[in-house]
Amino acid sequence: MDIFLQQLLNALSLGGTYALLALGLAVVFSIIGLINFAHGELMTVTGYAVCFALIWGLPFPLAVIAGLAVAMTAAFLMERVAFRPVRGASGTTLLLTSFAVSAILRVLFQNLISARPIPVAIPASLSGVVTIGPLHLGMIQLISIIVTLAMLLGLNLFLHRTMAGRAMRAAAEDFAVLRLMGLRANSVVATAFAISGLLAGVAGVLWVAQRGSVDPLMGALPVLKAFIAAIIGGLGSLSGAVAGGFLLGFIEVILQAYLPESLLPYRDAFAILLVITVLLFRPQGLLARKTLVKL
Amino acid sequence: MKKSKLLMLSTAFVALASAPLMAEDLVIGLATAQTGGLAPYDQPNLAGLQMKIEEINAAGGIAGKFPIKTIIKDTRSDSAQTAMVAQELVDAGAQLIITPCDADPSIAAGMITQGAGIPAISFCATTPTLPLAVGDYMFSNYPADNVQAAMLAAHAIEAGYKTAYILTSPDTAYTLKLPQYFGQVFTAKGGSVLGEGTFTMGQQDFGAEVTKIAAMDPKPDVIMTSAYEPDFPAFVRQLRGAGVTTPILGSDGIDSPTTFGLGDLVEGVVFSTAGHPTAGSPLEAFNAKWTEKTGAAPDTIYIANGYDLGNIIEAAVTAADSLDPAAIREGIANLENLQGVTGPITYKGTNGMPLRSVSLVRIKAGDRDLVAQGQPDPADIPAP
Repeated sequence: MDIFLQQLLNALSLGGTYALLALGLAVVFSIIGLINFAHGELMTVTGYAVCFALIWGLPFPLAVIAGLAVAMTAAFLMERVAFRPVRGASGTTLLLTSFAVSAILRVLFQNLISARPIPVAIPASLSGVVTIGPLHLGMIQLISIIVTLAMLLGLNLFLHRTMAGRAMRAAAEDFAVLRLMGLRANSVVATAFAISGLLAGVAGVLWVAQRGSVDPLMGALPVLKAFIAAIIGGLGSLSGAVAGGFLLGFIEVILQAYLPESLLPYRDAFAILLVITVLLFRPQGLLARKTLVKL
Repeated sequence: MKKSKLLMLSTAFVALASAPLMAEDLVIGLATAQTGGLAPYDQPNLAGLQMKIEEINAAGGIAGKFPIKTIIKDTRSDSAQTAMVAQELVDAGAQLIITPCDADPSIAAGMITQGAGIPAISFCATTPTLPLAVGDYMFSNYPADNVQAAMLAAHAIEAGYKTAYILTSPDTAYTLKLPQYFGQVFTAKGGSVLGEGTFTMGQQDFGAEVTKIAAMDPKPDVIMTSAYEPDFPAFVRQLRGAGVTTPILGSDGIDSPTTFGLGDLVEGVVFSTAGHPTAGSPLEAFNAKWTEKTGAAPDTIYIANGYDLGNIIEAAVTAADSLDPAAIREGIANLENLQGVTGPITYKGTNGMPLRSVSLVRIKAGDRDLVAQGQPDPADIPAP
């Protein structure tokens, strides 16, 4: 029983990270129909920012803030430079543009910074462990659960209580009508990217804290997981992305824990199989949006 | 006007490029990764090799008569691209091809070079089946997985460990086979393997796996894994976080500054690597030379490893006394006890995976503490 509870806690921690990432993808997709595969590179940018801030002698909390600011700026710039010129183009064009942005950034990181991972001095206090009865929880895992919940709550408040948030929700419903109401499309899209950058930044800090280094290619896998999570949840649905993230984390941890040893190498295949099963019954994802109108 | 100028310029370049070819130039084609997942290994190897080539050319070439000319093409860490680049290099007249630090693209390139009768050497592929998959013109330049595993297993027995748990990832031959070779040797020497866990590379989540290890009864005496960045730091953080203090054995993938930056978490971890700069060793001298040249100490053994590839080429061509690819192949295949900066290197009597010394290093207060160095007992090395 203790072991099961411990695995549940592990699932919550992993699912939380996936949820943060999927949410970052969904925020942008719900508004301009772009699946931003360069989202992972926003995490990498955050990692480098934190790393260099620490090297320049900033204390860790300030370095994290600097990292988040850089992530938001990078997301904002990405939109301005790469995605605004192709806004409204077909989904394929948008997708390919995001792949291009991702590939260009990776090569730049490899050749301008370093192809080899750079160590990040994570404070020793983050390596600690919290013991609750029979359960152990790493400090970083605990922080990721708390931060994920805080981010979800904050985003929810933002979307429902502020003008910019309402505009984003309206844009997700029907962009054309939003513009007819006299709201500036560019500022709504820019806000969406900034939020997506913040989510990528938070996920990036948690990711780097776990691995202790920044690597030019480190964004590839998380963005893939986020994509799967967003698909299970229903592309474009924010609550769906969160649900998808937690479900994917849960599936992965439970399979790892309870598959017999001989089948363990096929864990990812089983996980994807379960995802496909979900999609067979809910082709639009768990919490599909009813309207799929795009500009 | 502009056009004719361009034409003249390009003719001049062609003349410049081909003129030295007339002399007895050794043309080395590098089908290695400047970008992508293999760049972290290929780039430092290339930097080390280039340093050696500069030294050779400054001295008038190999044996004073064969200057080296390199053609470097990026493979983007993609196997299909590696094969294509290898073909281009063969067509460009390369007499020796260098392939990336991994068996898969090296096999892809090897299919081309073997057919063309041109020797190919992988920068640092460790999979012992590589030359078997390609043929007699394929070599590697690094201690093989089964050699490292045999060293680690001998150490585990010596340290008194009776039981082990191995953690593998089916994602690469290295992360899968090295721990399994370790298990084979460890069992053959009287130990027993209590279980084998797996992980997905890059996932960074070991929660479920660590919970299983923590619940094991009886607990293993030692955990062996070939996980490296980012998996190894995440694993060790989560393992120690779950209160498991079992000693860990690792392999050369974790020989990186990130590992040493983990502080108390990695205290006591023992891993295998390709060299250790003991006082007065050639590696110490090489490190000093590199530091003097670049202003920074080498952050990975791959730089010295690339430099040693230059030593191998120099010795093989000197022995062949010819630039004929078949003669160079003979030269490499017959090298015995060549003194490289990382230790002695032997190809004679092997299938193309060199016999090289392996160092076992213990992490102690953020620094290296040499545990053992040398080659394992040949009888211990498991068949690939």
